[in-house]
Amino acid sequence: MARTPQKATRPQRMALIVHSDMGVLSNLQSTLSENGFTAIIARDLPTALLAITHHYFDVAIVSSQLREGGDGWPLAGVLHLVFPRAFVSVLAPSNGDVLTLQSAINYGVKEVYKESSPAQEVVGAILAAVDLTSKNQKPHVQ
Amino acid sequence: MTLKRSILLVDDEVSILRTLRMVFEHEGYDVATAENSVQALAMLTKNGHFDAVITDLNMEKEDIGLEVARAAMNCKPKPAIVVCTGFASANNTRAALDIGIDYMAYKPVELEDLISALNRLISRYRDSGEK
Repeated sequence: MARTPQKATRPQRMALIVHSDMGVLSNLQSTLSENGFTAIIARDLPTALLAITHHYFDVAIVSSQLREGGDGWPLAGVLHLVFPRAFVSVLAPSNGDVLTLQSAINYGVKEVYKESSPAQEVVGAILAAVDLTSKNQKPHVQ
Repeated sequence: MTLKRSILLVDDEVSILRTLRMVFEHEGYDVATAENSVQALAMLTKNGHFDAVITDLNMEKEDIGLEVARAAMNCKPKPAIVVCTGFASANNTRAALDIGIDYMAYKPVELEDLISALNRLISRYRDSGEK
């Protein structure tokens, strides 16, 4: 009996969004979902940590301010350590000043987007960067 | 057994190189130094493996340390890459982020922070085989 060839299904890409504003979370979640991601949302640090223990993330978008200014950066750093190949990005009040860019480097964040940027713009930039990264990754031969 | 860590220090100020050499030798590192980007690039391509590279940003040319960082990014295995500068601008810090360096320190550098960051980065690279 001939077997039906099985389709190799690509596992859906996972994204984590951490932001205290439900409106921002909702916009980013729906935009990521439209682009083939399963997006998990968290409004605070404990929920984000719980999500980190339950899923393997390809993309993370974290607000630089969860409860107080700057407390999102260490969380982004943790995400970079736990998921070293993930595209970890931060939403900050500004993405062009020296201290913000230095924080991005030192916490292992790949990109900083302006807090005020529309969800489509942020997700579009992330998708472009993720595709570029995967194209640049050569097969690893040991 | 812990393998000895190796580091390449790049700075056009000899006094800074001398101080950093003493600091990192005291920390147990094998230290190599370069006084300009040309020397550094030659050492990166010919001398093989370093666990870490710390480079000044402005040497014989403005932002030339970014070229050293770019060259270090291409090394296999990739070292932990730190850029130190007293002349940070949004442009050169953005360029450093785009290159993908691991740490940016502004002069005067807090040595304890720098050593701690380097030890963390090197341990992580060794553990994950990410290099």
